Amino acid sequence: MSGALLLPLRRLGRGVGLGLGLGLGLCLGGCQPAGLQPEAGLNPRLAVPGDDSSPSLGNRGLAWIAPGLGGHRQVRWLDLASGLGSPLPGLNRPDAQPISVSVDGQGQRFALVRRLEGRTELLVYERSLALLRPIPLLPAGVPGQVALSADGRWLAVQVSRGGAWQVELLALP
Amino acid sequence: MNRAHFHRAHFHRAHWHRAASPWWPWALAWLLPLAGCAQRFQAPGLGDQQEPALSGDGRLLAMVAERGGRRSVRLVERLSGRELPLQGLQRGQPHRSPSLSWNGRYLALILQRDSRRDVVVLDRALGQLRPLPLPADRLPERLSLSPDGRRLAIEVLRQGQLDVELFRIPAHEADLPPGTPL
Repeated sequence: MSGALLLPLRRLGRGVGLGLGLGLGLCLGGCQPAGLQPEAGLNPRLAVPGDDSSPSLGNRGLAWIAPGLGGHRQVRWLDLASGLGSPLPGLNRPDAQPISVSVDGQGQRFALVRRLEGRTELLVYERSLALLRPIPLLPAGVPGQVALSADGRWLAVQVSRGGAWQVELLALP
Repeated sequence: MNRAHFHRAHFHRAHWHRAASPWWPWALAWLLPLAGCAQRFQAPGLGDQQEPALSGDGRLLAMVAERGGRRSVRLVERLSGRELPLQGLQRGQPHRSPSLSWNGRYLALILQRDSRRDVVVLDRALGQLRPLPLPADRLPERLSLSPDGRRLAIEVLRQGQLDVELFRIPAHEADLPPGTPL
């Protein structure tokens, strides 16, 4: 085949190759599921000196345990839309050590396990009323990690009884 | 035996304590006695049960349970007590820190692969196990998936300190409550 005929074919081949490459690139960029993308605007607000733990995500915000003033650990709340923290009146005590926290989807009800005066207790906090309610465990046990459903109506708690861990479900009104 | 059973254990009353003024919510709370219904997960051959997580309406319970010396995630339907299969999670034990989206479509967890600890999400609708790699200097300790499944909060150990970091998962469709407008 003559060179005059090959040249257009080569150009056509290059064009098709370039198009396929671009299409594949666009598909990989637009169609391929990306992994984790850091919340660059919010993460600096979580970065405080000291250990942070027990994250719990609702639709509107994040609850977690962080060092507070004076080094006491406390439950904190970050609103995802504004990037600002909000006070949780009546929830934190300087003489209590929070262990596990979980929040409902609206950020209105919190479940908390904390250690206070040598006891480990399970509580539910209603943010709109600033009310804290202890939840007794019957028979008695030591609560550990806690989880609240997003609708705020169910609470699952890890309880130690007789040296064994059990998971217990509680319906909340 | 795969089938798990829930047993209604007891009812008890809980009491409200006043945490702040004003007075009327406190009084109202005392006038409305609250009952909690406790249910306990019991299954023969199951050892320690830890790290519970609930779907949005509490229909599904995920937890890490020890069976045959292996710490694996179990997913249980609360009302029927039926244990649901989790395809693709037979390996990578021990499992840690399960977290569920609203309808339980997404189950995020940490699993151990050799010396590594990986964050993964099981998409139960598609039957896909998707790894979500973290930067190499971060060791995941605990997870929390947002109810819609599109955000993940991770407690990570980095340079000897525990941090909480937030991530988006753009590949996820929102797992919303039934009837919620898109």
